[in-house]
Amino acid sequence: MAKLNILEFPDPRLRTIAEPVEQVDDEIRQLVDDMFETMYDAPGIGLAATQVNVHKRIVTIDVSEDGNEPLVLINPEFTVLQDELEKMQEGCLSVPGFYEEVKRPNRILLKALDRDGTPYELEAEGLLAVCIQHELDHLNGKLFVDYLSALKRNRIRGKLEKKHRLETHQA
Amino acid sequence: MAEPINIRALAANVLAPLLRQHGSLSTHLPDALVHCPEQDRALLQQLCYGTMRELFRLERLAQHFLRKPFRTQDLDLQALLLIGLWQLRASRIPAHAALNETVSATEDLNKAWAGKLLNAILRRYQREHSEVEAELANDPVFQWNHPQWFISKLMHNWPDHWQDILSANDTQAPMTLRVNKRLLTRKKALDRLSEAGLEAKACAYSPDGITLKKPADVAALPGFAEGALSVQDEAAQLAAGLLATEPGDRVLDACAAPGGKLCHLLEQNTQLKEVVAVELEPERARRIHDNLHRLGLQLECQVLTADATSHDWWDGQLFDRILVDAPCSATGVIRRHPDIKLLRQGEDIAALAGIQLGILTNLWGLLKPGGRLVYATCSIFSQENERIIERFLKQQPDARHQSIDADWGEARPYGRQLFPQVDGHDGFYYAVLNKQADDTQA
Repeated sequence: MAKLNILEFPDPRLRTIAEPVEQVDDEIRQLVDDMFETMYDAPGIGLAATQVNVHKRIVTIDVSEDGNEPLVLINPEFTVLQDELEKMQEGCLSVPGFYEEVKRPNRILLKALDRDGTPYELEAEGLLAVCIQHELDHLNGKLFVDYLSALKRNRIRGKLEKKHRLETHQA
Repeated sequence: MAEPINIRALAANVLAPLLRQHGSLSTHLPDALVHCPEQDRALLQQLCYGTMRELFRLERLAQHFLRKPFRTQDLDLQALLLIGLWQLRASRIPAHAALNETVSATEDLNKAWAGKLLNAILRRYQREHSEVEAELANDPVFQWNHPQWFISKLMHNWPDHWQDILSANDTQAPMTLRVNKRLLTRKKALDRLSEAGLEAKACAYSPDGITLKKPADVAALPGFAEGALSVQDEAAQLAAGLLATEPGDRVLDACAAPGGKLCHLLEQNTQLKEVVAVELEPERARRIHDNLHRLGLQLECQVLTADATSHDWWDGQLFDRILVDAPCSATGVIRRHPDIKLLRQGEDIAALAGIQLGILTNLWGLLKPGGRLVYATCSIFSQENERIIERFLKQQPDARHQSIDADWGEARPYGRQLFPQVDGHDGFYYAVLNKQADDTQA
């Protein structure tokens, strides 16, 4: 297993639209394992392949307290079960250090393939529902900061660009 | 998606180093606030200040429930337990949220093993709190929520006031403002605050002071950015008046950071000949610059990063007025810095007294004959206050103590002592010393 490098906003590669996975093979499973290692280490509760610069429709999630309920989402899609929007605070491994409230549907139905390529369905609500939508956004080149005001987004962009400049200097 | 931030865990990380006597709230909290989501900053501050304010009481409770104390490397868990107890005991946070969030914070601290223990103790406190608190009621540290040495020293210093001081220390200090006389009158400032929807009243003792009914963000204060108002406790606003500068005076403000009293005396007198401010720590000297700049006073004052216990920065010109705002135990401002109760140790006071007398003696030599020196501290211990003046007068034949005619505080054999007042000023001490004029030798 290997830990992967996470792209950070405003990296343009985060805007790539991911391609569907044609066949769930060992190579894909290796990537899934690496993504879990990267996600747990971060620490995060969800990671999209886009964030590690692999533009395939793959997501790993674990919202459990103990980090022992890994969920693999390959070629995921969802439908909204309840139109009502709920606010929840979101943070993103590609936007480190920033947390903002985002409104999203609270209950959804997920359809995806698991680690073995077997299709499954899952009704999700609360944090899991939010996390699934957040990660699926990544596969479409979208970030949670896109839901914020331009003012807030630009402020976050400015602060992260400054951080990246400092890191380049130190490197 | 990043793991949600647990604010209790952040708070525990702020308080843990303090429990090891490392740093202070004002050094650790700003760092944590940077990492804290904006909407949770108020909660983080509340958890840190609230817990610190009740610390000694909470420590006694924790001791009661813990079979053995946490190891030094687990002081973050100790801090978390205190934060949990504070929420149940003194905050308006719903108990279930306090419990869940505090217990799950053990995971954010990577110490999930302690989750069960914290859960058990917090639930026991919920069930047994009346019995436990009744049992502890006679323990002075629990009752007065201060360390034992502090209580004893205060009882000895102020047999008539110690209880009032201890209770006032645990209240929240009001937000007090100083009006910049150069720009507007206090009456005008009160009108503008009222127009902005902020309830406020004129201070009783400081002619330039205004106390807000409820604290407000400085950005919301009309005229703050333009320098019409500054934040400063009422007791600290008394220094400029005591110094009684006259046009053409050369003035020294020693140990000047953050520069509140300095700015006040500049606001009051536009015709001073020269003003020199001395501050030892460069970081704090920068804060003087910031304050002078905001008020547009930067050209009227020279700020030196220098040591008030030495002469090496001095140009040899005597001063007409000297303000010695000596480094002290800050035991008069515990309401604003509740961590002082924890960070200050009994033996610090004698060491501070040595420094205070040293600074006073050193600066006395820079005062013109006929000149005036004001000695100030934000301490409530006589060892740092009237006894310094007493010791100084014994060794300095050309020093004359001048009693302060005022209606604030309490007159002492030397100087006046202010005690922290609920909804009023901080604890402070002032003494005025005059240097004998040369004419006796002439």
